[in-house]
Amino acid sequence: MAKAGEKWAIAEIVSRESGRVYNLALKLLQNKEDAEDVLQETFLIFINKVQSFRGESSLSTWLFRVTTNVALNKMRAKELIDKDISIHDPDFESLKGYEIRNWPIHPEDEMDEKAFQDCLKVAMNALSEDYRIVFVLRDLEGMSTKETSSLLKISESNVKVRLMRARLLLRDQLAIKLKCVEKRYNARS
Amino acid sequence: MPDHKHNKKFLERLHAQFGQDIDAEILVEIAKHMEDCPDCKIYVDSVKQTVKIYRTTEKEKSVPEDVSKRLFKTLKLKRYSP
Repeated sequence: MAKAGEKWAIAEIVSRESGRVYNLALKLLQNKEDAEDVLQETFLIFINKVQSFRGESSLSTWLFRVTTNVALNKMRAKELIDKDISIHDPDFESLKGYEIRNWPIHPEDEMDEKAFQDCLKVAMNALSEDYRIVFVLRDLEGMSTKETSSLLKISESNVKVRLMRARLLLRDQLAIKLKCVEKRYNARS
Repeated sequence: MPDHKHNKKFLERLHAQFGQDIDAEILVEIAKHMEDCPDCKIYVDSVKQTVKIYRTTEKEKSVPEDVSKRLFKTLKLKRYSP
């Protein structure tokens, strides 16, 4: 049982770090209820392991990894990721995308703010979890290919391919809304 | 996209330049190629901008009050005012 002083210190940490944990979970899962579950589970793990935390990484780095792992486990439980073994093969399908014309300099000015935000959200939700995780970790959270590969237990080339596809899928959704799609093309493998 | 160099390998190189996974020599090669290839330039600009838009619009949200309350209750902790 934690002493009063320890409890106070833990409460301080929870207050300070809960925003980051919640936001990461929300980005990964795109669902408020699931993000709340991850938030609670992450800090339950933290409380159970706080005595053995050696400080080899910073606390926020450690919490980042735990949050991602808890979110991954949640996706696995729902069979949202790793559902198709062939997805681990970077060449399982050729890279597809739309050919774009007249891409605006400021896409955000092409429609009203609410419509633009909705468009971004819809596109993000439409990404499969396998792609979204990589996009969030690499492009939004700034993790390296190596770190992402180690955290997700997939090869670095797979991280790169998933990231390319995620970016293209998001870009294509935006391009459709912005009406600047020329045609669909397939890149040769 | 025209056929010439736009195979998967080349696209991988284009994407790598958004991060830190590419060496300077390849970066120069890509920059040179894009000077003569408007299709590639649009491709890179549009993808790059999409990533930038998501980075800037994914604002950090504070934990909703009810979520925070339930968290502290689950953890059996008291919330302290700063």
